[in-house]
Amino acid sequence: MFGFLLIWQAATTFGPLVGGSLPSAIEALASLGGILAEPDTWQAIGQTLYIAGMGLLISVVLAIPVGVLIGLSSFAFRSTKIVFDFFKVIPPIVIIPIVILVFGPTAEMGVFLVVFANFFMLASQAAYGIRDTDPVLIDTMKCYGLGRFAQIIYARIPGALPFISVGVRISVAASMIVAVVAGLIGGAPSLGREMLLYQSSGQPGKTFATVLLFGIMGLALARIWARVQKKIVFWTAA
Amino acid sequence: MKRISNLVISIWLPVTLVIVWWFASADSTDPFFPPLAIIWETFQFLWIFDLVPVHLVPSLINLFSGLTIGVSIGLVLGVLIGTNDAVAKYVEPTVDFIRSIPPVATVPIFIMLFGLDPIMRISAIAFAAIFPTMLAAIQGMHQTNTTLLDTAKVFRLGNLVTIFRVRLPSASPIIASGIQVSLQIAFVVTIASELLGSGFGLGAFTLIATDSFMITDAWTGVILLGILGFTINFLFDLVERRALRWYLMSKKLA
Repeated sequence: MFGFLLIWQAATTFGPLVGGSLPSAIEALASLGGILAEPDTWQAIGQTLYIAGMGLLISVVLAIPVGVLIGLSSFAFRSTKIVFDFFKVIPPIVIIPIVILVFGPTAEMGVFLVVFANFFMLASQAAYGIRDTDPVLIDTMKCYGLGRFAQIIYARIPGALPFISVGVRISVAASMIVAVVAGLIGGAPSLGREMLLYQSSGQPGKTFATVLLFGIMGLALARIWARVQKKIVFWTAA
Repeated sequence: MKRISNLVISIWLPVTLVIVWWFASADSTDPFFPPLAIIWETFQFLWIFDLVPVHLVPSLINLFSGLTIGVSIGLVLGVLIGTNDAVAKYVEPTVDFIRSIPPVATVPIFIMLFGLDPIMRISAIAFAAIFPTMLAAIQGMHQTNTTLLDTAKVFRLGNLVTIFRVRLPSASPIIASGIQVSLQIAFVVTIASELLGSGFGLGAFTLIATDSFMITDAWTGVILLGILGFTINFLFDLVERRALRWYLMSKKLA
């Protein structure tokens, strides 16, 4: 990491990038310190986390019950497969132009995009998880005369948890990305919008510093989520 | 009979949704949600095939040239890093850091460097496409069966031959899924680069349409982008299944 910074600094001070518009490592780090000293930046970080967190919460609350219900019925699973597969691969950026028209450049717009980005993936993870329950486990429970409800509560849902937690891990990262993109392209109040303002007002140092900030936030979130995940689904290695 | 009922079960819902949308929006006066019938009419008028060479072709050219460059760089770097533990230890933190940055957020940097130029778009796409392929290649190199590697050693295969004849083929399923992620990200960055810096391209078309309140035009752009996103993924799946047929077969046998 340190070596990389050195190469960057060397390239911008006397290497091939001299006089280009790429700030040097020292400039970028100084700007990072600079924007971190501004209260606006912290407000934008808060807004970004709000959009990502709220969107994530809504999508988890909506998608997991829907996914579980779909997974329980073979008919529902097969009926919804094409619709879910279709929306799963469509990136949220595609619908931004329409969503801006409806919501305007607001935090709600960002939240909606985050939910759109996560919902189909999370719901189908939950559905696959439910369907993947070990059949021997279900047969055993049937032998002991446990009803369908008990099977769902004690076997199918715990069995689906590893799938769901993988889904949520992907969603945590995706929510941050979408919250940033909602600001950058849709003008929602978030760090993305700050970055666009820095770029369009010709402040390369600050623009670059924001990118560094994204990297730091992304890494931090991934670490935090890895810990939480270990606590919730402690019995699987993934 | 079974096939027909399977088909019916899998397509009744999407078909119903489109029909519901068609009729529910038929008398819509909401400017943001024009009737689907009118969107469809405009769609035919615009995209069959008047604007295809103006907007769709440049987008696709940028997407695939960026993707090809990014995937090639990713593969080469991935193999180098994956077969060389000392290098891996050294670059991994940096790689980890760069890949936690939202790919779209790098687009403004490329605009800063190159201006609103096709070069900017292609390099932004290529840059974003490097990482998924590279990480998959690194992982694939690490996961080569050690018995295979030992066998290669016993036969005194050189390093290069081992990489091309043993490691790469055994890593190809992982690498293929890495390339698929690269493709998806490249698609997003393509649209982002057009939404942020206008010009030609499907994203730019949709942006201009929304900015000038041509809502129906914007809807056709969004729908076309959605279909495009779905289609390239679908085609990739087809190609992958063909190319990796030996692997899928061997999995079935196992």
